Amino acid sequence: MSVAAGGEAVSTETPNQVDTKGVVVGLVGIYIAGITAGIIGPYLAFFAGIGAVFATRMGADGVRRVCSYGIGTGVPSIGVLALGMGLVASMFGIAIGWIVGVPMIGPIVGFVIAVVIGWIIGTLANKVIKLNIPVMERCCMEIAGAGVIVLTGLSVMIAGSLDFAVIIEKVVQTGFIAPVFILGALGILHPFNASLGPDETQDRTLRHAYSTGAIAMTISGVCSIAVLDPIAATLSIVVGAFIWYTNFMGFVRLVQRDAGAGYVGTGLLPPGAM
Amino acid sequence: MDPSMGMGLVALMGAAATVAGCSEDLESDIGSQSNPNSQVQLAAQVGYPHRVFNKAISGEPPSNAMYCAVGAGVAMMLMSESTIAASPLLAIAVGAFVSALLNGVFSTTSYLGRSASQTRFNQYVYLDVLRNHVFGIMGHAYITAFCIVGLSYIMWAVLPVTHPFPFPVIALIWGLAVGAIGSSTGDVHYCAEREFQDFKFGAGVNASDSGDITRFAEAGLRSSMDNAWFCSKFGGPVTGVAFGLVVFLDNWRSTAFEGWTAVVVGLVIVSLLIIYNRRLELYARKTYGPYPEYAGEIEA
Amino acid sequence: MSDISVVGMLAENWMMIIGIIIGGLCISVGVHFVPVGGAPAAMAQATGIGTGTVQLATGSGLTGLLAAGFMYKALAAGGIGLSEIVLICATGAVGAMIMICVTMLVGNWVYIYGVGTPPASAKVDYDPITGNSQAPYVAPGTVGQGMPTVCFVSGTMGGLLGGLGGSLIYCMLMGVNGDPAISSIFAIGIFVVNAVLPSYNIQGTIEGFHDPKFKRVPKAIVACFVASLLCGIIAVLIPGIGGV
Repeated sequence: MSVAAGGEAVSTETPNQVDTKGVVVGLVGIYIAGITAGIIGPYLAFFAGIGAVFATRMGADGVRRVCSYGIGTGVPSIGVLALGMGLVASMFGIAIGWIVGVPMIGPIVGFVIAVVIGWIIGTLANKVIKLNIPVMERCCMEIAGAGVIVLTGLSVMIAGSLDFAVIIEKVVQTGFIAPVFILGALGILHPFNASLGPDETQDRTLRHAYSTGAIAMTISGVCSIAVLDPIAATLSIVVGAFIWYTNFMGFVRLVQRDAGAGYVGTGLLPPGAM
Repeated sequence: MDPSMGMGLVALMGAAATVAGCSEDLESDIGSQSNPNSQVQLAAQVGYPHRVFNKAISGEPPSNAMYCAVGAGVAMMLMSESTIAASPLLAIAVGAFVSALLNGVFSTTSYLGRSASQTRFNQYVYLDVLRNHVFGIMGHAYITAFCIVGLSYIMWAVLPVTHPFPFPVIALIWGLAVGAIGSSTGDVHYCAEREFQDFKFGAGVNASDSGDITRFAEAGLRSSMDNAWFCSKFGGPVTGVAFGLVVFLDNWRSTAFEGWTAVVVGLVIVSLLIIYNRRLELYARKTYGPYPEYAGEIEA
Repeated sequence: MSDISVVGMLAENWMMIIGIIIGGLCISVGVHFVPVGGAPAAMAQATGIGTGTVQLATGSGLTGLLAAGFMYKALAAGGIGLSEIVLICATGAVGAMIMICVTMLVGNWVYIYGVGTPPASAKVDYDPITGNSQAPYVAPGTVGQGMPTVCFVSGTMGGLLGGLGGSLIYCMLMGVNGDPAISSIFAIGIFVVNAVLPSYNIQGTIEGFHDPKFKRVPKAIVACFVASLLCGIIAVLIPGIGGV
C-alpha cells in the first residue's frame, strides 16, 4: 500500500478520545445487556451490539493509524491477526468467568488478555521481525481490544446472556460465530481500506466505521432470531438498521464534501485527461 | 445411502464449485478487486484518471468468506426449528440474497470512499459508474454465495458421512478458499492482460508502465463491465475449473477411500500435478523461446 | 458454574500446548515456502502466485483443516491415539497440498495461455531442481513471472506444512474440549495469527526456499513461538460444555 505510506495520519479526534469512547461504550453496552438479561429477559441485548459498533470504530481508527505507515502486506492482514487472537481471547474471558463462577468478569478479562497479547505481538513485530513502525504496539493493542469487544458484544447480543455455556450452545455450536467473526473483522478493516488514498479524512473513515459496525450488528440480529426471543432479535435488527442508515447517509454526504466538484452524475474524464 | 449416491453428491459439489469459482472471478474483475485494484488505485496518482470501478473490500478471500458465512448464517437461521423451518433450497436462496445486498453496500462504500480520497489527482466520483456496475457485481456475488452455501450444505447435512464443523464455518472456509483461488488465477488474466491491453502480448507489465492502465475502449471510455466480457472467455472459467477441482478432488478422495489410502491417493494426485506442471513449463519454454531483448551471459 | 480449576487444566493439557506450538511453527515455516508475489505477480511482473501470503496460506491450510475435520470424525469412534493423529495430520496436509497445487497449476495456465509468458524466476540463474536457465526467459522490465518447477515444489511443501500445522492444532483442541465447533473456529483463529506474522517477516513477497528472504525464517520462528504459546495457553483453558 504505497498510497498513504507517508507516516503519521492526520487526525481531528485524538487516539485517546476514540479509544476511551470505544472501550467505555463497548464494555458498558455489554454489561447492560448481560446484567439486564437476568432481570427482565434479553430485551436489552441490542446494547451489546451498540457497544460493538463503538468498538468497531476504535479498531478502525487503529487500523487507520498503523496502515498509514505501509505495512507491506496490505491492510487486511493486521485485522485478521488481531481478530484471530481476539476470538480466542474473548471466548477465554467468558470461559474464565464461567470457571470461577462470576460471569460478569468475562468481558473485562477477555479485553485485558487481548490487550496484553496485542502488546506482545506488536513488540514481536517491531523488535524481532523489525517492522519498525512506531505505533505498532499501540495499534495492535487497540485492534485486538476492539476485536474482543466486537466479538463478545455480538456474541452476547445473539445469545442474550453472558454465560459461557449459553454462548457456546447458541453462538458457537450453531456456527453463528463464523459470520460474527468475519463481519467483525471486515467491519474494522473496511472503513480505512475503502477510504485509502491521500485525501482520506478521519471523520469520513470513522463515520464509515459506525456503518460497518451496524451492518455486523444487524446481521447478527438476523441470526439471533433462531436462538433468542423474537422481540429482542427484532429490536437488535431495527436499532442496527437505523444506525446503519443514518451513518451510511452521513458517509455519502462526507464523500460529497471531500470530492467537491468531482462528485458528478456522469461525464467524461476531467479536463486535461482525455 | 448407497455409495454411488455419495459420489453423485461429490460431483454435484464439484459442479457447484465450478460455477462459484467462475462467478467469483468475474465479480472481482468487474469491480477490480484484490491485486488489479492496486493498479486502478495507482493510475490516478500517476496522472491517468479513469472511469474504472474501484472496489477494495479488504482482500478477496476475507470478503468472499464474509458473503458465504453470512449467507450460511441466514440460511441456518431460516432452517432452524424455532423460526420457519424453511426448506434448505429456499433458505440458501434467501441467504445468498442477503449476502448479495451486503456485497452491494460494501462495493458502494468502497467506490465512493476510494474515489473521494483521490480528489487531488482529479479522480472524479461518477455516480453512473456506480449505478451501472453495482448490480452486475451483486448478481455475480449472488451466484457465488448460492453455490458455495449450497455445497457447504451438502457437506454438512447430505453427504453419507456429514462434516462435523458447523454449517457457517464450512461456508466461511470455502469462501476463503474461493477468494484465494480467484485472486491467484483468474485475476492474473484481468490484471496482466485486460487491464493493460494496449501493451504487447507475450510479456508481463513492464515495471515502468505500472499504473498506465487501459482507460479507453473500442469506442469511448472503458467501462469495467466489459472486463467480465473479456475475462469470461478465459480467466473466469479456469478459476472455476481450479475451484471445482479443489472441491471435487479433496472430497472425492475422502469419500471414495478410507484412512491411509485416501492420503496415498492424494499424494498421487499431487505428484501428477507436479509432473504435468513440469511438462507445461517445458512446452511454454519451447514454444515461446527466450526474450529477444535479453543480453546476458546465460544461455537459454 | 463448574469445578474446573485453571491450574488443573494447564497441568492436564501441557502436551496440548506443545502440540499447538508445533502446529504454529509448521504454519509459520510453511508460509515462507509458498511462492507469493502479491500485486506485481498478478501483473506478471514478479515470480510467484499473484495474491497475498496470508490469503493463500490461509486458503490452503483451512482447506486441509476441512479434510482433517472429516477424518477426525471418521476415526473418532475408535478413540484418538497417536497413530490416528498422524493420519489426521497427513490427511490435512494432503488436502492443503491439493488445493495449492491446483491453484498454482491453473495460475500457470493463465500465465502461459492467457498472458503468453513462460514461467521464470529472476532470483536464481538456474532452476535448482531442473537446472533450466531462467534469466533469458524473464520479460524485460520485470522480475520473472509464473511458477517454474522450483517454486511449484516449494509451494507444495508450503501447503504440506500449513495443512499439517492447522490439522495438528485442531487435533490438540479437540483433545481439550471435544467439540468440533469450538475447535474449528479456534484453529482458524490461531492459524491466521501464525500466518500473518511470517508475512510481515517476508514483507509480503517471496519466491520459495531458494529466495534469499528464506534466510529470515528464524525470526518468524521466534515470533510465532511466543504467539502460539500465548494462544495455546488460553485456548486450552477453554473447556467444552459437553461433558460438564
